[in-house]
Amino acid sequence: MADARVPALSCSGLAKSFGGVRVLEDVSFDFEPGTVNILAGENGAGKSTLLKIISGQERPEAGSVSIFGNTVTHFDPRHTRGLGVGIVPQELAPVLDRPVYENLFLGREIRGRSHLLNHGEMVRRAHEMLEVFELDIDPRVPMRYLSVASMQLVEIVKTTTSGARVLLLDEPTSAIPEREVEVLFGVISKLKAQGVAVVYTTHRMAEIEGIGDRVVVLRDGRLVLDRAVRELTEADIVRAMIGRSLGLLFPAKALVDSDTQPVLEVRDLRVETRPAVDLTVRPGEIVGLGGLVGAGRSELLEGIFGVRPSVGQVELGGRRVPRGDPSAAIALGVCFVPEDRKRAGLILSLPVLDNGAIPNLRRFTGPFGWFRRRLAEKVVGEAAEMTQLKSRGLSQLVETLSGGNQQKVVLAKWLTRDVSVLLLDEPTRGVDIGARSEIYRVIAGLARRGVAVLLVSSDLEELLGLSHRVLVMRRGEVMGELGPDEVSSPEAQERVLRFATGMVDTALAW
Amino acid sequence: MGMYGRVLLSALGRRAMIVILLAIIVAFALLSDRFATLSNAQTILQGASALSLLAIGQTLVVLSGGIDLSVGSLVALSGVIASLVVQGNPDMLLPAVLAGVGVGLFAGLVSGLLVAVAGVPPFIVTLGMLTSASGLAYVFSNGSPISGLPENFLAISSGSVFGVQIPIIIMVIAFAAFLILLTRTAYGMRLYAVGGNPTASRIAGVRVPVIYVSAYAASGALAGLAGVILASRVTAGIPTTGAGYELDSIAAVVVGGASLLGGRGTLRGTALGLFLIQTLNNGFDILNVTSYVQKIVKGALIVVAVFVDVHANRRRS
Repeated sequence: MADARVPALSCSGLAKSFGGVRVLEDVSFDFEPGTVNILAGENGAGKSTLLKIISGQERPEAGSVSIFGNTVTHFDPRHTRGLGVGIVPQELAPVLDRPVYENLFLGREIRGRSHLLNHGEMVRRAHEMLEVFELDIDPRVPMRYLSVASMQLVEIVKTTTSGARVLLLDEPTSAIPEREVEVLFGVISKLKAQGVAVVYTTHRMAEIEGIGDRVVVLRDGRLVLDRAVRELTEADIVRAMIGRSLGLLFPAKALVDSDTQPVLEVRDLRVETRPAVDLTVRPGEIVGLGGLVGAGRSELLEGIFGVRPSVGQVELGGRRVPRGDPSAAIALGVCFVPEDRKRAGLILSLPVLDNGAIPNLRRFTGPFGWFRRRLAEKVVGEAAEMTQLKSRGLSQLVETLSGGNQQKVVLAKWLTRDVSVLLLDEPTRGVDIGARSEIYRVIAGLARRGVAVLLVSSDLEELLGLSHRVLVMRRGEVMGELGPDEVSSPEAQERVLRFATGMVDTALAW
Repeated sequence: MGMYGRVLLSALGRRAMIVILLAIIVAFALLSDRFATLSNAQTILQGASALSLLAIGQTLVVLSGGIDLSVGSLVALSGVIASLVVQGNPDMLLPAVLAGVGVGLFAGLVSGLLVAVAGVPPFIVTLGMLTSASGLAYVFSNGSPISGLPENFLAISSGSVFGVQIPIIIMVIAFAAFLILLTRTAYGMRLYAVGGNPTASRIAGVRVPVIYVSAYAASGALAGLAGVILASRVTAGIPTTGAGYELDSIAAVVVGGASLLGGRGTLRGTALGLFLIQTLNNGFDILNVTSYVQKIVKGALIVVAVFVDVHANRRRS
């Protein structure tokens, strides 16, 4: 174990610019061995660049990095790896069709005397490695059968067992369900005990308090906060990240008249083989769907919209929405913002204009199927403006936009038409706080115009902060409901969790 | 690649292909005085005409995220069917043309339905169609050329209007029509969207299967038309006509900068790719370079062109 007085990771005076824009300016900090250090900041604050410099993928213009007292001389991943830096990127790239143990030993395979691979030994050692972290993963199954969370844990095990003493985790929880976060935290605690210095980037406040010893906040490339987590409140951290206080994050909820007839009525709807669900949403009402990942919330939205098979009744202002036909649902005014914008929400290879125009092509189609470009430009341009989309124009390819702006395009494309029901699945996943408050304003604004909103969110603050009512689901069933008064009560979070986990009497440490 | 190479390539950008084509034309013009003549230009265009129809169809299919390996066999099948209909009977000209195009359209519909509805991968579906259609062409022709075709059928390839051969006119019309379809209509936008991301397109309300089926149907019908033109040119329906054309059409599309993953590519690029390949073939013929050597160069060209395109466009993505 290294001398406790030598920092595991020490950065001093780091600076970097891209194309004349300063992305890091005089960043200095020391991280001790055996600590978890949160690197926080909005998208574009410089977190990724900082991680790239520490892991040797980028060279700083000024300043230096040292690992356990050894100064990095070449900013090259092989050199920094040799000094003990390991990085688990946000987007993993495992070899999906090969077993877990081969992934663990890729590049450092165990060979027998004949120089042929010793599979038995690799499986045995892989077992040991996973056991140390109390992970219930069979090293012989192909990577493909693992959840994203498990793949990430395998990657962490791989990195630390190949000698990483400074472990960089880039938004490790952005793609994994809440209940598996616990397992990740367990692994991180074990690494701490082994004296590894963990650097952890995240957007989620709960994680900073749950796992962090220390938090370093970057804003516009400068270090604006560097303190022990226990000395700070959530509000302190948010204020440091966005440079103002968060009071206005959630717009005020407009009143919904409880006498109004519901516009969306779901009766006895069974999505695939799940239990039947009934729910209603009034015009102007935002109804939240709470629950753990896997509770069937996304599946319910997909069933209502028609991209997932379902039986039962969905009515829109008294008109029946046919099952399994998204284009019919769209024609009736239903729209859907899916959870995974890159996979299902956007056509990355096309410009903003095309993405915005596609849900509404009938309106932009003239005689002989002619595409009415001018009209589309006007309508999509207005929608983009409503969401405060920051782009170089409507012809910019969506793949070159930031995550928050991509999500605004997903919203904007539904603003080009008359919408009566908006189905939102995790609308702010991976979106930074600044863009999030803009997205919240758009959602609240639509509700105020009379749109009925059904919102799935795993972020409890978001769920309770936006919704008029919250339905909590577990194993495909609605287990409970929080009414308008209950949503804003101090016990709201706890009640959602009790319904979600089914633990009615057990105290929850969350 | 050196510094200068990289600077040069990124300066070329989208213009890379057209610069290469012009360079090749200038080189051949300097090497032979028979190259840069009006009649040779007609020869190149005439030679490209049938293949251009296949390349247009292939562009649609590739943009949708698929691939159509069946077009070469459909050329043969369509040529044989049209020849059987019109053989010794000049009155059957129009039915023969319709039969040729129709058989291609039908085969394309079958492929499209298998891809869109049955969910079989395009490579497999069209590989199967390639083999079966070739077999059908042999069955219908009994394995030998169907000749004795009337004058009016032969005029499809040899006739001309205002001094321009009919196949060239067909090619120009086809390029213009499909260029408009891809860049100016809602259908074109949907095709790019489906190729770029079928899941997101479905959620945006696009009827994805319709787009798939239409792309293969168009490719099949265009292959049928090409089959009619080629049967007319070789004055017989021959079951070996068009063999290997599927690869030539794919070459034109990828040299033209389209992505085989779908969603990216232009008809303009395909046209440039096609004329690049055709001009090389023609120039080498004039210089008496053997077809074996031509093949080597063509193979290298495909790889080099895509390499240039990838590097010239890398900065933008």
